[in-house]
Amino acid sequence: MTPHYPIGADIPRKDGKAKVTGRAKYGADWNLSGQLYAAVYHSPIPHGRILRLDVTRARALPGVRCVLTGAECGQRHGQFIADQPILAVDKVRYVGEPVAAVAADTLRIAKEAVALIEAEYEPLPVVDSIEDALAAESLVHEDWSQYTIYGLTHPVPGSNIIDRYQLIRGDVEQGFAQADVIVESDFYCSMLQHVVMETHAALADATDDELVIYSPAQSPFTVRAAIAQCLGYRYDQVRIVCTEIGGGFGCKAEPKLEPIVAVLSRAARRPVKLVYDRHEEFEATVTRAPCKFHLKTGATRDGKLTAQQITVWWDTGAYGTYGPRVNYNAGYASNGPYAILNCHTDGYCLVTNHSLGSAYRGFGVSEVAQAHETQMDELADRLGMDPLEFRLKNVLRDGSVSVTGEVMESVGVAQCLEAAAANLDWDRKPRRWITPDGMLHGKGIACFIKLTGTPSTTSCLLRMNEDGSLIIESASREMGQGVLTVLPQFAASVLGLDLDRIVVAPVDTAMVPYDKTTTSSRSTFHSGNAVLEAAGEILRQLKALVGRKWGVPPEDVQFQEGLFSDAAGHRLHINDVGSSGLLKEEPPVMAVGRFGSKDVFDPPDAHTHASSRPTIMWMMGAQAAEVEVDPRTGHVRVVRVGAAHDVGRAVNPLGCLQQIEGGIVMGMGHALLEEMIYRDGVLRNGNMVDYKVPTSMDAGIDCRITLVEVPHPEGPYGVKGIGEPAVAPTSPAISNAVSAACGHRFRRIPIKPEDILSAKEDAAC
Amino acid sequence: MRSKEIQVTVNGELYLRTVSVSTTLAEFLREDLGMTGTKIGCNEGECGACTVLFNGEPVNSCLVLAVEADGGTVLTVEGLAGDELHPLQQAFLDVGAVQCGFCTPGMLLSAKALLDRNPHPDEAFIRKNIEGNICRCTGYDRIVQAILLAAERMS
Amino acid sequence: MLNAFELYTPATVEEACRCRAETGGTLLAGGTDVLVAMHGGKAHAVLIDLKGLAPLRGIRETETHWHLGALTPHYAIEADPVWRARCTCLYEGCSQVGSVQIRHRGTLGGNLCNAVPSADSAGPLLALDAVCRIASPAGVRDVPLTEFFLGARRTVLGPDELLQEIVVPKPAPHTGSCYIKYTRRRAMDLALCGVTVLVTLDGGRIAAARVALTTAAPTPIRAPGAEAYLQGRQADRVDLAELGRRTAADASPRTSWRASTEFRLTLLQELAGRAFTTALARAKEDPT
Repeated sequence: MTPHYPIGADIPRKDGKAKVTGRAKYGADWNLSGQLYAAVYHSPIPHGRILRLDVTRARALPGVRCVLTGAECGQRHGQFIADQPILAVDKVRYVGEPVAAVAADTLRIAKEAVALIEAEYEPLPVVDSIEDALAAESLVHEDWSQYTIYGLTHPVPGSNIIDRYQLIRGDVEQGFAQADVIVESDFYCSMLQHVVMETHAALADATDDELVIYSPAQSPFTVRAAIAQCLGYRYDQVRIVCTEIGGGFGCKAEPKLEPIVAVLSRAARRPVKLVYDRHEEFEATVTRAPCKFHLKTGATRDGKLTAQQITVWWDTGAYGTYGPRVNYNAGYASNGPYAILNCHTDGYCLVTNHSLGSAYRGFGVSEVAQAHETQMDELADRLGMDPLEFRLKNVLRDGSVSVTGEVMESVGVAQCLEAAAANLDWDRKPRRWITPDGMLHGKGIACFIKLTGTPSTTSCLLRMNEDGSLIIESASREMGQGVLTVLPQFAASVLGLDLDRIVVAPVDTAMVPYDKTTTSSRSTFHSGNAVLEAAGEILRQLKALVGRKWGVPPEDVQFQEGLFSDAAGHRLHINDVGSSGLLKEEPPVMAVGRFGSKDVFDPPDAHTHASSRPTIMWMMGAQAAEVEVDPRTGHVRVVRVGAAHDVGRAVNPLGCLQQIEGGIVMGMGHALLEEMIYRDGVLRNGNMVDYKVPTSMDAGIDCRITLVEVPHPEGPYGVKGIGEPAVAPTSPAISNAVSAACGHRFRRIPIKPEDILSAKEDAAC
Repeated sequence: MRSKEIQVTVNGELYLRTVSVSTTLAEFLREDLGMTGTKIGCNEGECGACTVLFNGEPVNSCLVLAVEADGGTVLTVEGLAGDELHPLQQAFLDVGAVQCGFCTPGMLLSAKALLDRNPHPDEAFIRKNIEGNICRCTGYDRIVQAILLAAERMS
Repeated sequence: MLNAFELYTPATVEEACRCRAETGGTLLAGGTDVLVAMHGGKAHAVLIDLKGLAPLRGIRETETHWHLGALTPHYAIEADPVWRARCTCLYEGCSQVGSVQIRHRGTLGGNLCNAVPSADSAGPLLALDAVCRIASPAGVRDVPLTEFFLGARRTVLGPDELLQEIVVPKPAPHTGSCYIKYTRRRAMDLALCGVTVLVTLDGGRIAAARVALTTAAPTPIRAPGAEAYLQGRQADRVDLAELGRRTAADASPRTSWRASTEFRLTLLQELAGRAFTTALARAKEDPT
């Protein structure tokens, strides 16, 4: 299909006007008449048995309509393993775990009631680190076999290992034997939070056979399934009505507040609203799991990789949630975008008494990139090679065989590396230099590879209104990434209809067709394909109507860029279809579009995870960074980032740039500023001053961005995803640059001023 | 006192309400007046999402008591546009300074405050004056560009 | 959300003092500390809003002094160029408190009375030799800021007292000052440590020097060892490393999850020299 306007045009976002005028309604902006206000009593301790939980005084407080504890509500839930109770049962496993919930006439009464809840615990030893989890002297979950497993999870009995993943290709020992140089190191990434500006919120209106939930859900159908399962509803009885999302990045993909308001509302027989405050958001929602790596990589003297052995341990917190998916996705990405014949990756997803590690913009890919890209620099240094040259020698190219045995195509990573480097003026800058004022400068580069979750499905419905305008029903959720703009672009590209006559409907699972999830950078690719299919059908139906009106067979109706015509000289532009009377009393013009990736998916080998097609879409890109380090204060300033991402086809280049610019600043935060600090199972910095998201004063990076377009054969117009990739290579590019500047290899993020002041020169760069 | 009748001019209209002294201005705007354009992101002055102009000055409305606004004027995002969008709103759209949009109302009001103070700001002045408005999506550059564009269009 | 409380809005200083004595209430100025703590769960039964007290408002100037009403918002210092010119360190402190929104509400008096070691206005005011004018039903008394802090979150204010104004002597001619706030972020952050240096030159000689430290002890402090080293010395004979060592010797920062003692001491050593260098350059350019 030949794309024309408006594919490739910078289209301002269609949801923009509602957002700049304050009309956009986010989770906390919704209310129902007669609603009650909920508050949650959270566990004050990281690990313990609940000896006594007394809610008598809370129930007795005037204005309190309902108080629930774990025993009174539903089954456990979980995306892959149903280990998580709605409210704690028997044990608490992290500070912040919901233990009891109150619904009252006002929020103030609900909070007062929470303060009246009395609990006694028998403290249990705190599993406070990856090392504690591996020692298994204290088990966070005593018996994995009591939980239902829905898939992907492989818990190890009698341990804190909730999931094991392995990727094996060739023979690593043989590979290391062929190597002239071998480097071996440990890496660590701290726990992070999404820190979306909008905290979690949900509002439910429930009876025993009907449940409506309003929430800023990223993946409404995932939420519907989980809630229906754990509360005993059929899917048709549950409606997830989606509000505007004030930032997602993965944290709103799973049920969080929705089950709590559902059980409260069902018990109280009134609508119930719950909005987490920022402290609850930090302690009691989800995080990016901290992780530790051990990497050993070998290369020949001339710089060809021969073998790589990786072990990664994820501290996924008290419950599984998306942890196993992180282990899996990151596992597939753990070697980076390189052709390596001999690989062995072991991934361990560990439960601890920390907040829940879950989906976070990339499902582990930034973290594995942090490890493999630091190691690539270590290896380049040992070989005396330029880091860019070393990477280019080893990256995947069209026809390369990947670590899972897939013959790769549509591989743009080499172009990305070259463009990112060019954007930094890589060739004109030394690895490291010192300015006359004593500031250290360094450059670094990093690349990555990321899959999109496969198999997955989506669908959409396109409806032409009587006036010829078009509604797209799709459950791909807008959370800033621009899907409300991109999907109309796809429809317009087929139909030639003006963009302002196309709108995406609000999402309600009772009305909008199924979409698996808005995660994994999949929406433009998957929903774009579905919209193209449906738009083609809309066009077919319109041609039939036009042909009937003009008295010609549909195949004789010509159509080009929105204009219907025939040999007799009839002409009708699609924008005039409504006013032409063409649609009057005709069967409505509407069409379904469907897309799934099951047919291309090659289910991985259970032992080696080898697969000829583990994903329908690989995403790749590269970023290079220049930093300035003040060696006497430890301050780091990111001077410039050169970025290049293979987006396949930039449907809306403005949207792609927005993703990458934001990703770079977020990644800078990850590299230098952000971490959740736990001591003895207690979060020390759960507020927005002590958890340091970059401000406008910290940003101001000179970002130079190239959109590389190597079309994907199955993507709509060749599209690939860009949401998560935007942040994937940033932190390793920056940390490699800081290492170069300081002449010291940093192997842990964030790199803090304290680390810089205590660094000794040890790196060859 | 525990509650008080207050008179506040919000977006040019006078409101009379009796409020509890423990109600913040943010809560008053959102709950008593139903103006949910003002967002609460942290409720402790650390994110700027609830920024409004109070007697012309940018404040975190979560850190102002509603009773303190008695006799005062408040401008929220709902009051920015007249028949047409405010130049700042238009510039935010044109430049692409909006993503998830949750920080946008507060950001727009901080931007208005800084332009009221300095109609010809440079980038450094803009960055300094939006330092209290956290944005997790954009990386700030387009926001800065949008404010520069609005300043240019307004002069 | 704030707990339910009783709000008093006294109209006179005396009434406010009595109200405080009788209710044990918490004084509310800009609210940028008190309300933040309450949102975080701290309960106060009584708040006493001081904003109706005229003697606490505004800035008065005499030949020799400025009288900064305790309710002066940080932004008033930031926005008036006189401070940047005459008391640069105070401008630097006030303009780096929280965010622009916080600075419109937060007050100098609140910043001092909150008595945390990281208070951004405290170091500069200590270096400026500021005096706290404290009101009570019995009248006013003056306490040098150096004696105002008793410990972390503790001041000399009695149960029926409040801070009315901060009296700042006008710096002598050829004075320059500098406050360096060390933070992880470049905005919206608390000082991991801070150094203020004020020097007055007499030709090439340092006629007066005052050094104040932030987040270097349980309260903001002066650094007498560092001051003694600078006092009377030829400005071009100051050994920055030695100044740093003396500054660090005056400090007793603690280790917390935010930063270690050693790190803070290292920073203090470096920042003392930088603050001095900048203050000296400003002193040389100070015409008055």
